[in-house]
Amino acid sequence: MNFRNKLAGASLAVVAALTFSACSSGGTDPAATDTAGGASGDATYRVAYIARAQVDSFAAWLANEITAEAENYPDITLDVFDGQADDEIQNTMIENAIANKYDAIIVQANNGVAQTPYIEQSVAANIVTITTNPRVPDIAGASSVDASPYDQGAVVAQLALEQVPQDAKVVVLNGPGGNFHSTERRNAWQAEFFDKRPDVEIVAEDVANWNKDEALAKMEDWTLAYPQIDAIISMNDNMAAGALEAVKGDDKFAGILAYAVDGTPEAVLLIKEGLMTATTLQNAAELAQLNLKTVHDLLTGIETEVNVDIGNPLITSDNVDEYVKLYTDSGQIN
Amino acid sequence: MLAKLRSTDTSRYTIFLILGVVFTIASVLSENFLSADNLTNVLRQVAVITIMAYGVMMLIIGGMIDLSSGAVMALAGVVSVIVYKDTGGSLVLAILAGIVVGVVANLVNAFFVATLNTPSFIVTLGMMLIARGAVLEITQGQTVLQLGDFVKLGQSSWGWLPLPTLFLAIITVIVWYLMTQTRYGRSVYAIGGNQEAARAAGIAVNRIKYKAFALNGVLVGFAGVLFMSRVNAGLPNAGVGYELQAITAPIVGGTSFSGGVGTTAGTLVGAIIIGVLGNIMNLTGVGSYIQQIVMGIIIVVAVAYDVFSKRGKRSKQILKPTEKELTDPIDGEEDSLSQRHDGPHKEVP
Amino acid sequence: MDARLSLRGITKSFPGVKALDNVNFDVRPGTVHALCGENGAGKSTLMKIVDGIYQPDAGEILVNRETTRIRNPIEARSHGIAMISQELNYVPNMTIAEGFFMGRMPMKHGHIDWSFVREEAARILDEEGLNYLGRAKLSSLTISEIQMLEILRSVYHSADIIIMDEPTSAIAHREVTSLFKKIRALRDEGKSIVYISHKMDEVFDIADDVTVLRDGAVVSSSRVEDTNFAQVISEMVGRDMSTGHYPKEKIEIGEPVFKATGLSRKHLFSDINLEVRAGEIVGLAGLIGAGRSEVARAAFGLDPLDEGVIEIDGKKVNASTPQRAIANGLSMLNEDRRLEGIIPKLSVKKNATLASLKSVIYGGRARKRIENKLVDDYFARMSVKTPTTETLIESLSGGNQQKVLLARWLITEPKVMLLDEPTRGIDVGAKFEVYKIMSQLAAQGRGIFMISSELPELIGMCDRIYVMSAGRLTAELTPPDFSQETILKYAMNEVEVA
Repeated sequence: MNFRNKLAGASLAVVAALTFSACSSGGTDPAATDTAGGASGDATYRVAYIARAQVDSFAAWLANEITAEAENYPDITLDVFDGQADDEIQNTMIENAIANKYDAIIVQANNGVAQTPYIEQSVAANIVTITTNPRVPDIAGASSVDASPYDQGAVVAQLALEQVPQDAKVVVLNGPGGNFHSTERRNAWQAEFFDKRPDVEIVAEDVANWNKDEALAKMEDWTLAYPQIDAIISMNDNMAAGALEAVKGDDKFAGILAYAVDGTPEAVLLIKEGLMTATTLQNAAELAQLNLKTVHDLLTGIETEVNVDIGNPLITSDNVDEYVKLYTDSGQIN
Repeated sequence: MLAKLRSTDTSRYTIFLILGVVFTIASVLSENFLSADNLTNVLRQVAVITIMAYGVMMLIIGGMIDLSSGAVMALAGVVSVIVYKDTGGSLVLAILAGIVVGVVANLVNAFFVATLNTPSFIVTLGMMLIARGAVLEITQGQTVLQLGDFVKLGQSSWGWLPLPTLFLAIITVIVWYLMTQTRYGRSVYAIGGNQEAARAAGIAVNRIKYKAFALNGVLVGFAGVLFMSRVNAGLPNAGVGYELQAITAPIVGGTSFSGGVGTTAGTLVGAIIIGVLGNIMNLTGVGSYIQQIVMGIIIVVAVAYDVFSKRGKRSKQILKPTEKELTDPIDGEEDSLSQRHDGPHKEVP
Repeated sequence: MDARLSLRGITKSFPGVKALDNVNFDVRPGTVHALCGENGAGKSTLMKIVDGIYQPDAGEILVNRETTRIRNPIEARSHGIAMISQELNYVPNMTIAEGFFMGRMPMKHGHIDWSFVREEAARILDEEGLNYLGRAKLSSLTISEIQMLEILRSVYHSADIIIMDEPTSAIAHREVTSLFKKIRALRDEGKSIVYISHKMDEVFDIADDVTVLRDGAVVSSSRVEDTNFAQVISEMVGRDMSTGHYPKEKIEIGEPVFKATGLSRKHLFSDINLEVRAGEIVGLAGLIGAGRSEVARAAFGLDPLDEGVIEIDGKKVNASTPQRAIANGLSMLNEDRRLEGIIPKLSVKKNATLASLKSVIYGGRARKRIENKLVDDYFARMSVKTPTTETLIESLSGGNQQKVLLARWLITEPKVMLLDEPTRGIDVGAKFEVYKIMSQLAAQGRGIFMISSELPELIGMCDRIYVMSAGRLTAELTPPDFSQETILKYAMNEVEVA
């Protein structure tokens, strides 16, 4: 029995260690999960990309795009680290990257305020520092590449201004509390739509944490409580898709409008089918390209500081085919 | 009549009473609550959690626990979806794949818990991380889309009865049968009640533990298939926190953390109560944050009540009872030590 | 009378049962007061009221002639009342030293004074001649050893009124003598000891007063010199029973049903050879720690065996797990029913059928009628007292729990029964019933193997008695050699004897 316990404990420790190291994609060890870029070349720049989380599908997509884009730069080797949606862990990652003397650090902050001191440390250590998705403002010496969540929301809200019928009743789905992207998009909706359309009534509004299944359950219950719902206004595609599942095939809601942000493959398909009305593309590929170009320019001295945004193209049934092609080509849709 | 009423064991029926109270309050709070559509909704919504709850109920009765069910559910569901797409739409193979994933993960759990004697809390905690990592790795964090007819499982109905609810009903009967009409079920109660005594009575303790985990795997796997089918996507980050809800339902329904006690019906009622509470909060517009607080309170209260009721109550006795009172059965008086002389007591099925 | 502890008109009921009816009970200072009665007579209930675990429905308690309310055991302690219960309460992972001071750790400057704990524990153990290490875990001791320590603990934290509930039920002779020496010493210091016991010889040896309870009422209360064995026993059971009468029948002894050869397990026992023939009752005597339970457990497959062969009905069998042992006709009643016997939260019915699940659940469903009939049948045969068969077994008295466990094994229709202290902690009436059952089983051609520390019952019931000492067999005795002195001699003999 005693031996068994020890064996069990040892096995578990090994398993746990392996799991944690896989999760953290490297931790203190600079050899991480994804290393991209050619090794040879005169100067090799080591770049650390500290992602917000693996679990978040957009963050995962972005990390993959950045890794892929780095292949195009033979003088860059890229290591990806996972902040696991935890401020503590992400801060530690930044510190480790500084200690391991990376030439550049790109941070996708989980919480800008919490990460600020550590980002400042990176700048102080003369490391090229970029914040992306979201940008962390007011850090002297740091560059940034972002999509503006306010603009993303505004673009869709402006379209809704024309499309949503008079005296409409709508439901609103928000991301996790305190999430910068969610609040900014919601602010855009408020200013660009709700303030301008006092006739529209919000019958229900709640947090669905970016999750499709949570939104589905909420919408199922809402459709019973509120027999008239003319539009779904969601801060991201996942939640809109979930809400749409709830009313799928229900004649009472046949013409329901649905607005969201992100431009995920799922949303593109839904727009193609005519179920969803519009979304804004948050193009991870474009973000990645811009990030790599920026970091390369900074490392080679072409630029000293860059703050740039990607575009916010609106996707509707008019131009959806373009994006279907985009995703089919990249393999995300069949 | 009154005497008989007093001497019957009320604790068994308490849970149904609570269900009735919750239903009553809910119907007062919202006129939509008692509508056929809404009740059908609720039954459909609780299906996945309840199926998972049955699995962990079996384990808790047997003196173990499973913290990995949320993650394994997601893994099984995603694998099932992928298999469905890769085989060109074979629902049978997809369901099988999901179940196999659930079973394999749980057999690993069983190996550490039964053979190596490691506490199930730790083992399943580790499995939770492993399964979550696996599903994220397989999907690279991306949702699997274009499920086609896979959604029929979770979104269609048989007449007025949603399929998930039908599955839930069938599974409920099966689980009840396993726990009350098989040697396996009886053994699980015995092992949870006193593992050493069960062993000394000739029960193959390890084998039963493996079976319990395997059955849990089947249930969790199938729950995963049902979940993805309902949301029409292979979501790798699904089910976070589901294991806690799956544990709460049996506890609310009378299953005891100390093992050896619990019923299938109680778990079903517990799950429905939790589902109804979520539903009524949505119907009345109670926000997500408050809902979380309420759920937390329920968990704490349910466990506290579980512990409290097992300890027994001692009533303060100042009044000297009359002759009549002495000959009538006194109910509700329990004592913590072994010399109890109760009348018909709580029956464990 | 100048009583230290006085109970007046104590009445207590539980649902369906009146446990105590207007009981008067006085304990004088500096005396040992024996409390006798069958199980269900109310002795444990009465003492639990004194210990503050129960509250009386009526009546009053006086301590040192002052009316007091004892609401819980802590208040009881503060009144100088200490209780050593029949079912021991101990924390297996605690060390022996810690166990002595559990709940009353000596403090020094706000920290636990561990050196005091260690030194005192060592001193106490040394005084008793026990060579355990203070830092050994309680779980490494047998039940009898733990009970001895519990007595020492109470004695150490000397209360004025010490209640001992069946204190010698798991102790062999040598320890009893030293315990009695201690009790007498405490009595001479002026303490009062309430001594609950069925063992008449002990009662008449140590007690000054004796009170007999039957069905919740006091039948008699007198000085020990004013009464005798037969009188007390007949008052307890309400009928005349000649003492020392064991229901041993003359049975035709057949072929060996159980044969163990060369049983060995490292550090525990070595080269044990035992045999039980059909119709025989064979005993195994020895001091605590001789390894008797270990042998039985290993034979039954509960613990591993390093070497040895088991034969049932002359055929070698594989009894490496309890399952296999049962399939081959073996059964075993464990020493500690709370630890390895009862499943507390299951009904008596389910406890009884636990080892025979194939007989009550087959063909795809549970056979309720068959199970009920089986259980009713066996319970009637063994006079198990329970409100219903759905009652949880933890509600029953110790004696009835033991009978349910016996029923569990009987239902498996075993060829051989290994009984480890089968009559421990059960009353005279129930004991008699158990002996009768044992005789009946033997008459049916089974082999009964009984481990016991009660020499009279071994001598009264057995056809042969093996004796073990320090892990080895030291004797195999036949009736001509049956005597307590002989058994003890071999039990203390550390040298291997053929």
